[in-house]
Order: sequence, then C-alpha cells, then structure tokens
Amino acid sequence: MLYKTNAKSLLAISGLISWLLLLAYVLLNAESLLSGNGVPKFAFPFFSNLLIVVFIVSVFLFQRIQTETLKGIDFIGYLWNLFSKAGVAAYLSVALYLGYRVYTNYIGKESVLLMHLVYQINFGLLVLFLAKAFYIWRQLLLYHKNKFLQIAWDWFEILLAATLLLTVFNFNYTSYIFLPLLALMGFYILFLCTNMKWVAYLTFNNKSRSLVLLGAILLSCYIFFRFFKNTADSPELAIDYSDVGFLLIAMLFVTLYTLAAFLVSLFSLPTSGVFEQKSEDLLNFQRLSQSIQQGQSETQVYNMLFESTIKAADASAAWFELTRAGGEPQAAHLLNINQDQISRIRHLLLAYNILNIDYINNNLNRNPGFRELMLPWKSMAILPIKTTKHLSGVLYLLKDIEGGFDRETVNVLRTFTSQTTLTIENLRLVNESLQNERYKEELKIATQVQESLIPKTFPTDSWFEISTHAVAAKEVGGDFYDFLQLSESRIAIIIGDVSGKGISAAFHMAQMKGIFHGLMQQDMAPSEFMKQANSALSRCLERTSFITSALYIIDYRMKGFMFARAGHCHTLYYNSMMDDVFYFQTDGLGLGIIRDKSYANHVREMYYDYNPEDVMVIYTDGIVEARNANNDEYGEDRLLYMLKQTYHLEAEDIKWAIINDLQDFTGPGNLYDDQTLLVIKFKPST
Amino acid sequence: MPMKITQEIKDSTVIMTLDGELDASSSVLLDEELSDPEIMKYSKILVDCQNLHYISSAGLGVFISHLQRFEDAQIKLIFFNMQDKVRNVFEILGLDLLMTIVSDYEEARTIANE
Repeated sequence: MLYKTNAKSLLAISGLISWLLLLAYVLLNAESLLSGNGVPKFAFPFFSNLLIVVFIVSVFLFQRIQTETLKGIDFIGYLWNLFSKAGVAAYLSVALYLGYRVYTNYIGKESVLLMHLVYQINFGLLVLFLAKAFYIWRQLLLYHKNKFLQIAWDWFEILLAATLLLTVFNFNYTSYIFLPLLALMGFYILFLCTNMKWVAYLTFNNKSRSLVLLGAILLSCYIFFRFFKNTADSPELAIDYSDVGFLLIAMLFVTLYTLAAFLVSLFSLPTSGVFEQKSEDLLNFQRLSQSIQQGQSETQVYNMLFESTIKAADASAAWFELTRAGGEPQAAHLLNINQDQISRIRHLLLAYNILNIDYINNNLNRNPGFRELMLPWKSMAILPIKTTKHLSGVLYLLKDIEGGFDRETVNVLRTFTSQTTLTIENLRLVNESLQNERYKEELKIATQVQESLIPKTFPTDSWFEISTHAVAAKEVGGDFYDFLQLSESRIAIIIGDVSGKGISAAFHMAQMKGIFHGLMQQDMAPSEFMKQANSALSRCLERTSFITSALYIIDYRMKGFMFARAGHCHTLYYNSMMDDVFYFQTDGLGLGIIRDKSYANHVREMYYDYNPEDVMVIYTDGIVEARNANNDEYGEDRLLYMLKQTYHLEAEDIKWAIINDLQDFTGPGNLYDDQTLLVIKFKPST
Repeated sequence: MPMKITQEIKDSTVIMTLDGELDASSSVLLDEELSDPEIMKYSKILVDCQNLHYISSAGLGVFISHLQRFEDAQIKLIFFNMQDKVRNVFEILGLDLLMTIVSDYEEARTIANE
C-alpha cells in the first residue's frame, strides 16, 4: 500500500514536471519561430519526444494504479467515474479553445504564445482522458475474464506501449512500413471490443442511464478528435501531437469500445427485463436454499416462497395453504383474493378430486365449473409442497390472462417448490438432530447416575477379597450389584439382571437397588428377601419384564454363607478342602414371573460353610452367553475351566484372567449384553 | 438370523414352530402371534423348539406374560424338542418348574390329551 502511494506521488510529480518542461520547450520554440527566419533555435526533437513519452507513461501508469482500487459490479459507478473525472476534460478543452478564440477576436490579432498554451493544456487533458478511459474500460472488459482474455489484453498493453518507441525514435507512423501493423492493431482492438459481459448485468434502468453516460463520453472522444485533427499539420505548431501514434491507437480503442458498449446497451435494452427476472429468480432461489444456515423458521421460508413465486410467475392473485396435522388447512398469505373466493375454488377442486395435487389450468373459462364461479382470473396453477409421504402446504397462483403458466414459468415454479420442500425437510432434520443431541446429553447424565448407583469400593477386610467388573452394552444397562454391611461380621451381597436393556432396564435396576437397601435394613434371610422383593416388583414391573437375582449373606464369624437364587445364573465355586470347582445347583424362580403368594414355593435357601482359600464367582448371563464370531457361546464349562486354572491367584488376578479370556473369545467390539463379574476369595482369618 | 414362526392347526391343537433366534426384535412377532384372540379358541398350544437356537430375556418375557392368561383359560402350553442350550436358559430362570417342557412331539400329545 505504501509502495503504491509512493509510486502514485512519484508518477504525479514526473508527469507534472515533464508537462511543464514540454510547455517551456514549446513556448521557447514558438518564441523563436515568431522572431522570424523560420528556423527554431531550440530544435531538439529527441528531447521533446522523450518528454512526451515520459508524460504519457506517467499519466497512464498513474491511472492504472488509480483504477485498480475500483472494484465491485457497480458498472454505472464506473461510467460515472469515467465521465465525471475524464469526460468533462473534453468540455473543458472546448471552453478553453472558445475562450482563446473570443480573446483573439477581441484584441484582433493572433497570439502564438497563447495558442501554444491552449494547445499544450488540451494535450494534457487528452492524455488524462485517454488514460482514465483506457483503464476503466480495461476493468469492464476484463469482467468475468478467462485466461485467454487476460493474455490477449496483456499483449495489447505491451503492443501499445511499444508504439511509444516510434515516438522516441521519431518514426513517422504513417509510413508504409507501419501502416499494415497499425491495421492489425485496429483488428485487435475490434476483437477486444467484443468483450462486454458487464452490459448483460445492467438492469433496464441502469442501461438507460448508461446510454446517456456513454453518449457523453462518445461526445468527449469526438471533441478531442476534432480539435487535434483541425490543428494537425498546422505550420505554426512547435510539436504536432497528432504525430504520436500511441495517442491515435489509444483514442481508437477508447472510442470503439465506448461505441460498442453504447450499441450493445441500446440493442439489449428490450431484452433486459427477461434477464432481470432470471437473475432475480436465481437470487430468490439462493435465498431459499440458504435459509437453513441463517436459522430461519418454516414461516419465513414459506413467506420467501410466496413472494418469489408471485414475482416469477407475475401472478395477479395467490394464496398459500398451510397443512396442519388433522385439521382443515389454513389459508395464509392472501394476495388479491378473499376467503369466500378461496372456499368456492376449494369446493370445486374437491368435487373434481384434484385437491392437493400438481395441477395447471391455462384456460379456466373452458371449464364449466370454473366459469360458474365467475372468477376474474383465466389461468391457475396449484403447486403442492410435499415429500413422498408428508404434505406441508399448497400454493395457488392465479393470473388474469389465458395461458398464463407456460412451460418455462411452470418449470421455474416447480424448482421453487421443490427447493422449498427440501429446505423445510432439512429444517425439520436439523431440529430433530438438535433434539437427538439433547437426548444424547441426557443419556450421558443417565450413564453417570447409573455408575454412581454401583459401588466402586467394597469394604476391605482381612477375611475376604473381592474384585468386580461391570460393563454396559449401551449407555445404561440392566445389570447391577451392591452390598450392605448388616453387622460387624455379616455382609449382604446382591447381584441382579433386569430383562431387556436400555432405559427401562436401568429404571428397574435402580428400583431393585432401592428394594435391596429398604428390605435389608430389616436384616432378613435371603429367601424371605426374594419373596418380598417379588411382591414389591409385581406391582411395578411391566408384564414382559422380570428380574433375576441372587443374594448372599456372608457371616465370617460363623465361616459360612446363606444364599438364595431367583432365576439368576448358578454360582461358580471352588472348594479348597476338596480341591473341586463346581456350580451350586439350586432351584429358584426369577422375580416378577409369578406375581402372587405362590412364589414362596419357588425359592430355596442354602447354607454353605466356607474354607479359607475358597473362591466364589458371581456373574450375569452377559458373561456366559457372550458370543464369538462363529456364534458360539462362552458357556459355563469354559468359565469353570478358567477358575480351575486360576483359583490359587488373588481375587483381582482371577477376575482379570477370566475377563481377558472372555475378550480373547469374543474378539474386540463384540459386546451385545451387559457383563458383570464378581470374584470373592475367602482368606484364612488372622 | 430372522425368526420364522409357523402355525399348524389340528383339531383343538395349535402347533407353533419357532425357527431361528428369539431376540428382542423377533419376540415382538411372537407376542403378536400369542396375543391373537383366535388362539384362545384352542385348548392346547404345542411349541416346537427344534430349530430355536437362542432365546433372549425378551423372548422369555413374552412367554411369561402369556403364561397366566393361558392358565386362566385352561389352555395347555407345552414345549417340545427343545435344544439343551435353550432348555438350560429355561432351567436357570426356574421356568422348567412352571412350564411343561417335554422331549418330543409324541410325549407332548400324550400330555396334552390327559
């Protein structure tokens, strides 16, 4: 930026100095011409030519930097800029010249010095005008450019700059050697003048305004042309600027491009309405499709659809019906139509059985039903907004001419409605996914709550070790275990599994925990607990749900435990005295299966004396029913085998041995049921 | 493996064949079959479990929920040809003492006709 500002001021200064030097040179020369003998004293054509080139290059480069700051698609702004800052230069020069003529007439004799001053100023104005026009046309010409056009333009600029060399070396460009080259340049310019995509983007109003501006600029071109043509080859002139080939070619380009733009604008004036409509359709379409990102509501989307389609079809009346679940559709957005007309049309459509379907009628009067309604409209389009299964609304458009909805219009309208359908559908999906996100958050909370329901640490004591493992297949599960210290030497341990998985299982699991803590405060035998728990659960479990559970009350002073099984997996046991691993085979019905007093007959209680080093493995069916890729179950036998191999280890190591073996068996990511495993090892009392 | 449930009617007996795995989704099908009021017209329901490879707690829940209803209507529900693996699930839960589970079709017929 700093570089640009510096370059600009440098160019301005060099332009000004070269112009002043030129002026001085010209005036001195004119003076010497005036003093007689016809031979100028200071005739250094190379010097003056160099000054001309420096001046032209300075002004052009200055404008080149200046116009690069112009951006955007305000084409009228460009034209106005060109006219106000450069076009007026021509009118200024005319005024100057006329002023000079009036003055010479007034004093009655020619003033050579004054004439040279005017000529010199006009030269400066011409270069300014050409430079400005040249680079503004460049901006417009390169609008929507492609690579080829960019290259073509760059070469044009280089060739044009090259013509300055002719001036430096004082060649006469009109000589026969250069004429064909100049003709080629002319064709090149004609080719460049065909690039005016920007004109297409002008609206009707803008085109009319641009015609005026272009006309004024054309006039500027003409004025300069006339002035320099009239003064050309005048013997009084010290320097004849019409000899500078560069100026001629730049003038040719500016004039031709202005003329071409003027003609194209003029002839595209009648069709600009169509283009305007299309670009507005496109814009509306874009707005519709972007309405999701902008967080707009369904109502806003329908508003947009309504307005856009009326404009696109140029409808004289319209209404939109919003379909409501299980109710009469609600007519919203009425345009030039009243409720009474709507209900009459609806009745007729209902009678014809064409309600809510895609329907176009381009001649309502031909249909006796519509003719009877005496409607002021002659064609009608019905456009439902619907997906394959869901109807959100229906759009009705009416026009007061026959054949109002031609194929082109209907296509545009259908595009609008299908985009609306898509937008509405997406809006709903976005809302749903937000809802799902919320559910997920709540599930996370449920997971945390459930984790807090399962004890992390068991009381550590010298007479037993316990190690636990629990994973849920989903966010929340139906497995649970818990303990309660009943007295100093007695502890109750419960394990359970609620049928089913997920939220409902998690609720029953929490319920079961409450029942356990509530009932065991009264310190009862395991079988009694099962009876009471069955009775409590019978009142709240749904018919297809049941709970399996096993309760152990271990008494370390008595060195024995009492337990009852309610449909839960058999307890795996290692007896160190007999050095034997086995399952306790006891009867016991799951909770919630029989929901009356007769349950008492289905639960047994067992008492067992334990020895130091005995191991008890308590688990849920997620362990033994875990499957591998071949659909084989892990099974009780493999579990028993694992304990046989590991009973001498500590409880923690036994647990990990079993879990690792289980994971080897199922393979990774193969968890379909909650898994819970408790390993209890009795230790010799100290 | 999707569950296939077929019914065959002989006089006052419905022979229901379960083919596949009775998991959470297929137990909905079974519940529909057993909830059909038509089924209450018959006095015996024999369930052929020969091709029942697996039963989940949801599947068990369906049988349990209909158990009381059939008992009240004096409809006999008899399972036969049950695979050991599936029978073990019934036994662990204690259902073998509540439901009639026999080894083959002949035995099921004999018990049904008692």
